[in-house]
Amino acid sequence: MTPVDLPAFYGPLALLMQSSEPITRFTAEAAAAQPAAIARGFRFLIAAYSAVWAILAIYMVSISMRLRRLSNQVRRLKEQAG
Amino acid sequence: MPARRGILDLAQTILFALILVLVPICLYVIFAVVPTESRMGVIQRIFYFHVPSAICAFLGVGVCAVASALYLWKRDRRFDILAHAGAELAVVFCSIVLISGPIWARPVWGVWWTGEARLTSTLVLWLIFVGYLVLRGSADNPDQAARWGAVVAIVGALDVPIIYKSVAWWRGLHPRVLKATGGQGLDPTMERTLMLCMLTFVLLFTYLVIQRWRLGRLQDEVQALLHTARRGPAPAARA
Repeated sequence: MTPVDLPAFYGPLALLMQSSEPITRFTAEAAAAQPAAIARGFRFLIAAYSAVWAILAIYMVSISMRLRRLSNQVRRLKEQAG
Repeated sequence: MPARRGILDLAQTILFALILVLVPICLYVIFAVVPTESRMGVIQRIFYFHVPSAICAFLGVGVCAVASALYLWKRDRRFDILAHAGAELAVVFCSIVLISGPIWARPVWGVWWTGEARLTSTLVLWLIFVGYLVLRGSADNPDQAARWGAVVAIVGALDVPIIYKSVAWWRGLHPRVLKATGGQGLDPTMERTLMLCMLTFVLLFTYLVIQRWRLGRLQDEVQALLHTARRGPAPAARA
């Protein structure tokens, strides 16, 4: 199997990756030999990545909301104090 | 003070821009460039976010423990705010580790969870720092919360070297990817991808620490303003 073609944007990254000799590759032949196992692996992989990004997104949104609420509260209290 | 705030704003903007560039690069490399591990298959790719999350959890615990020790020594409120930020991030990243780990374990080990030493000690770390946050929330005043929290953080941080050495001490099932020997180490592409993901996660961690720090400062400012509004000038220690 030929190496993955990298877009021009990832040029420096492609150089970084070119020097290595991969042990194995996720080849079309391998996928065809074990379609059920590959599909099952992808389901778990997608579940894991979704969970990671969901947790990070919820935390970042929560911090932003708390920051906005407190900033508004500080402004209001300063206005009240004159 | 406004100058320091300006530096923080600039640092946050630069960090956010770097994260926005690095995250898609990481995802591209993980899914399109890095080779698939021969025995585990595609599921091994969880490792590129699982390991950096664990490192960030340890960083959070480290920040919390060092800042807590400095708070007990100097009694400076800023150290307590930093400790609180570190603890919250330790819980967030440890939660990611504890969720992504079992998702990897189910197809590879055949079970979601086992009483393996590294898994158990990581769960203990998560429980300690969730306990830290609950304890702070239940304290009567900020000084008491800071003192109790500092003690829990310093004792809790002792779990980190136990987690790190657990596989060697108790010969656990957990893979030793970073210290593997006898031809079991990482492929160079995998290693570079892991380093790229580590860098991205450490930058994200730093960005979130700054955000959480600002939140803590604002909470103090609100408390000081409320105190002034109700009873007159705030005590110097709370300013």
